[in-house]
Amino acid sequence: MDHVLDAVARLRVKVTRSGFPWRAAPVPTGVEPPPPSRRLGADYDTSWARRYPARVARAAIVESVMRPTMAALASPDRRGLDRLDDLDGPVVFVANHHSHADTPLLLTSIPDPWRHRVVVGAAADYFFGNRLSGAVSALAIGAVPIERTKVGRRSADLARDLIDEGWSILLYPEGGRSPDGWGQEFRGGAAFLAIRCGVSVVPIHIQGTGRILRKGRTLPRPSRTTLTFGDPLVANEGENARAFAVRLQAAVAALGDEATSNWYEARIRAHAGTSPGLTGPDVGAWRRAWALGDRDRRSRRRRRRWPKL
Amino acid sequence: MKALQFRRNLPRYAAARLAGGLTPGRGAAAGPLKLTDLDEPAPPGPDWVKVRPRLSGICGSDLATVDGRSARYFEPLVSFPFVPGHEVVGNLDDGSRVVLEPVLGCVSRNLDPTCRPCADGHLGNCEHTSFGDLEPGIQTGSCHDTGGGWATAFTAHPSQLHPVPETLDDEAAVMVEPTACGVHAALAARVPDDGVVAVLGAGTLGLVTLAALRAHASPRTLIATARYPEQRRLAAGLGADHVVAPGELRRAVRRATGSRAIGAPGLGPSSGGRGPTEGIVDRLTGGADVVVDCVGSSASLTDALAIVRPRGRIVLVGMPAEVSLELTPLWHREVTLVGAYTYGTEVLPDGSERRTFDLAADLVADAGLGSLVSATYPLSRYQDALEHAASAGRRGATKIAFDLRDEKERHS
Amino acid sequence: MTGHLAPRPGFVLDVDRNSPPIVFHHGEGFRLEKLPTERSRVIYPAEPLEGLPDPDGAIRHALEHPIGDSEPLSALLRADMKLTIAFDDISLPLPPMRRPDIRQRVIEAVLDQAAAAGVDDVHLIAALAIHRRMTEDELRHAVGDRVYDAFAPDGRLYNHDAEDPEGMVVLGETPHGEDVQFSRRAAESDLVVYVNINLVSMDGGHKSTATGLSGYTGLRHHHNVHTMQHSRSFMDRENSALHASNWRMGKVIREAGVKIFQIETTVNNDTFGREGPLALLQKREWEWSTRDRMQFLGMKHGLDVMPTRARRKVFSSWQAPYALTSVQAGEVEAVHEVTTANVFRQHLVPVEGQTDVLTMGLPYICPYNVNSIMNPILVMCLGLGYFFNLYKGRPLVREGGVLIMSHPTPWEFHPVHHPSYIDFFEQVLADTTDPVEIEKRYEKQFAEDEWYIHLYRNSYAYHGVHPFYMWYWGSHALQHLGRVVIVGGDPAAVRRMGFQPASTLQDALEIASDVVGPQPTITHIKNPPILMADVT
Repeated sequence: MDHVLDAVARLRVKVTRSGFPWRAAPVPTGVEPPPPSRRLGADYDTSWARRYPARVARAAIVESVMRPTMAALASPDRRGLDRLDDLDGPVVFVANHHSHADTPLLLTSIPDPWRHRVVVGAAADYFFGNRLSGAVSALAIGAVPIERTKVGRRSADLARDLIDEGWSILLYPEGGRSPDGWGQEFRGGAAFLAIRCGVSVVPIHIQGTGRILRKGRTLPRPSRTTLTFGDPLVANEGENARAFAVRLQAAVAALGDEATSNWYEARIRAHAGTSPGLTGPDVGAWRRAWALGDRDRRSRRRRRRWPKL
Repeated sequence: MKALQFRRNLPRYAAARLAGGLTPGRGAAAGPLKLTDLDEPAPPGPDWVKVRPRLSGICGSDLATVDGRSARYFEPLVSFPFVPGHEVVGNLDDGSRVVLEPVLGCVSRNLDPTCRPCADGHLGNCEHTSFGDLEPGIQTGSCHDTGGGWATAFTAHPSQLHPVPETLDDEAAVMVEPTACGVHAALAARVPDDGVVAVLGAGTLGLVTLAALRAHASPRTLIATARYPEQRRLAAGLGADHVVAPGELRRAVRRATGSRAIGAPGLGPSSGGRGPTEGIVDRLTGGADVVVDCVGSSASLTDALAIVRPRGRIVLVGMPAEVSLELTPLWHREVTLVGAYTYGTEVLPDGSERRTFDLAADLVADAGLGSLVSATYPLSRYQDALEHAASAGRRGATKIAFDLRDEKERHS
Repeated sequence: MTGHLAPRPGFVLDVDRNSPPIVFHHGEGFRLEKLPTERSRVIYPAEPLEGLPDPDGAIRHALEHPIGDSEPLSALLRADMKLTIAFDDISLPLPPMRRPDIRQRVIEAVLDQAAAAGVDDVHLIAALAIHRRMTEDELRHAVGDRVYDAFAPDGRLYNHDAEDPEGMVVLGETPHGEDVQFSRRAAESDLVVYVNINLVSMDGGHKSTATGLSGYTGLRHHHNVHTMQHSRSFMDRENSALHASNWRMGKVIREAGVKIFQIETTVNNDTFGREGPLALLQKREWEWSTRDRMQFLGMKHGLDVMPTRARRKVFSSWQAPYALTSVQAGEVEAVHEVTTANVFRQHLVPVEGQTDVLTMGLPYICPYNVNSIMNPILVMCLGLGYFFNLYKGRPLVREGGVLIMSHPTPWEFHPVHHPSYIDFFEQVLADTTDPVEIEKRYEKQFAEDEWYIHLYRNSYAYHGVHPFYMWYWGSHALQHLGRVVIVGGDPAAVRRMGFQPASTLQDALEIASDVVGPQPTITHIKNPPILMADVT
């Protein structure tokens, strides 16, 4: 044992003491150093995370870490999975976005055969800001960098290539987590991608993750959640990304209505165009917060009553 | 005189219990019953007469004794050693045929004044069965002094003897005693007109009780349980409207009474008491007006309590020994549980009084109950006889008897 | 194996020396039987037809392009109307199909249109007549969670209750004096949409509503011995007195002003799947791969050593991957014509001439023991009722011939589902097995027994009279056949029904030759997957 330790120590001394080529050559003085070639943000290359070893590792993480964690934290009620029964091939999943819990929850909820062939569109600036965070995201959730502020050519091409290769992609068209519990307007990226690749979009409504870990909090709190999968949608002939995105937003809103009322009432309102919107009333902050409480029937506490005497 | 004698012998008693537990009737071989030569019993009093049995039946209570299953209750009411046998048709010295009414009441014990039940003619209820001139013994066949029917001779008090009319052959005559039990039970049942009656058991007692119920009551529906095909045939022939297997009884009574039923937790098709129990018939909410239990086991009494209606009546005819029983239904449903032991004097619905034995003799003749005697054996083959009697139902038989008409000693 | 080839039709195999032993269904198990050469034939069912590529699209299309004298569904819906959707119960399809059930697809499509029209007053009724009520799980499986959660909690999705005095109404009488009894809710609705799954040609048409939403008062006019003995067969509507009565009743219902929009669907023969553990049951024995053979041997031996309960559990968990082969909607009679053609397209197999001895292997399931126990009465009904009647033209077996069925026929009943069956078996069959006698002496008592009615309404029990109908279902066969032999059945149970037990097929054929003479011709109907013989 001791020899080994000695050998290691000797090697370390040798490496530290010896210079180039054992170590990188220092930049000579007076020379302008080249810009660091750190490929971060939208340029981060995640292809390694879709090779076989990484996929196996990811499947292990999803099944052995995320699933029990989500079962304990979120006790998810998954509805409407049967609507995917007639679906084949790669699809775009779109969901509303409240919390960092959304992705693990969805990764454990999306059914086979998509579960292990799905990548997650993650904000290039947030998740791929440094190498460690990028690597962890790519490995654990199969994240691919997506620019949320503009339609970046690089991320769009990447997403298209992935779909062509048979990967499905999960996107949050709101572009970020909800700041106040209400949704935000859907951006056109997901719709654009679906039209460009000619694939179906599966709308998903997530309810309740905001209470587990809403934006700005760091400690999760257990709460019940409901995931409602909707009927797959395809863009109509000649429909543009903007219009399709509006339709997707309405579909997710109708699913939200279904989750809080029931399917038939939600269908009546959806047909009448009176589904409660995702984005909430256009009023002051406190009234928005107030209205949120009404919407979420699960959060309503039973009023305490005196015992009957 | 040749006799089968039952001695007090604890090791043999234990052996009988063991053997009888394995094969009913087998207690005869191992137990305290022995075929021996005895002196004829001396008459205990001046009136007593000698009876030479012709046929002598084997009764369920005899089998219980042989197999060591009878209740300790009887220990002070018998006197050892004794000769069993109380279903007897025999000859007096003048050659006339008599049947024995075996109960040893006050008169035979030379007690005067008699106890109240004896005075009223209810000999079976005699309060003095272990007093008086005789050693203890509720009947001939369990009393040391009198001897019993499983011998070529015994002694009897004239009050115990009933002449047999010419029209009854020996087989019919030997059935009079058990039939009298059935008649007594049928009258104790107090069947309401149009009532539903269930008779549990289709051995000798069950069958004669069925016949007696048909003769002396007017039930709307008479349901009988029978375990074996021959029993089914006989029960139906003697007047049962429905004959069912014991396991089918509860449903049969439910159908006949239009009652509803309650299932018990733990009986459901899914194990562990989960799942619905509706549709399972554990007990009835209504039920039969009268249940006559001619078996007397824990199982039959539990059945009886499950199928009797609230305020109904259970008549216990079969000798029960020790049973374990949930009595809550008896309490909750105000059920009357009555015993029916032997016979005496009956008050008929029209108010007239008749000796049970006379009614029984009529019934035996009318219903042809003599045919229930399925096989007879000489005393020497007593082990075969008892085994046959113990498995009578399974072997398609009903009443097994000893035939003493050809015994050599009888004629000496 | 045949995924890319066109499905092959059913055919008749003449057994010769090279023919392999044939797999017989035998309850929750199988038997391999070698049939005598040169005089035996085996009728094989057709392979599963291809399902419709876009079932939801096909359903929407059918609703908007009705058949017969009917407007499209959307034109029949108004916001202020009373709408009732009735659907087939747990007895269809068999075995239960994988999710999503066809009923769910159709009902969601109908409700989506109703939602577009803003219809508030909608009831959904499981049209089970006098069958047992469906449990929550079973209803969820049939209509889907979305529909269940939207309608069941406030009592707008429920089981039909034929013994609810308030809930039933007599709409009138047919010219034959038959009372037409109907669900009051359906009768008072502006529109009744009936959602059917047509597994066999007996189902559907006016029978859906005239039977499914009726009760004992109505049913006794066609569910009786006379009708069943004059339905030759009840699988062939044109020659079925059962259907004639239902059609008369359908007319009365229509004339009473009940508007029915009938949606009928047909499924293919994909009962055991194209792959998976049971796939070999719909392959022909000589086409089994090595893997199939190993799988069969393993399965057979595994099942043989398994306790009955476990076997039942294994089998009842099987859900068929049925595919929708057609959907048509509109006016009842016009719709049913198309449906029947589609059923026949899958099931009919032409057969020449009758046979002396008909053999069949009875499977673990019949319409009345889903998630339950196949009791002896149901064995009789499946063999002598359903399978015997799967003919068009004339029966497969000649008059006075022998029927040999293979089934374990245990003396066992599900006390919750089949309470009156136990009494029927213990009392009625112990007395007589003659359907006419049974009908005359016992039917009324059982039909009116309060306890059975209570259990039917509140528990999950078939109605008290249901075992009688099972027995009547076999009455045409009982009249036609010279003898019935059950191979491998519980002898006591088999004898109670008046049949003869045999331990092997060879013994059964011996017994048969007492009736039909030596060297009889033998035909085996290899069902399921379902086939219907077109006998000429």
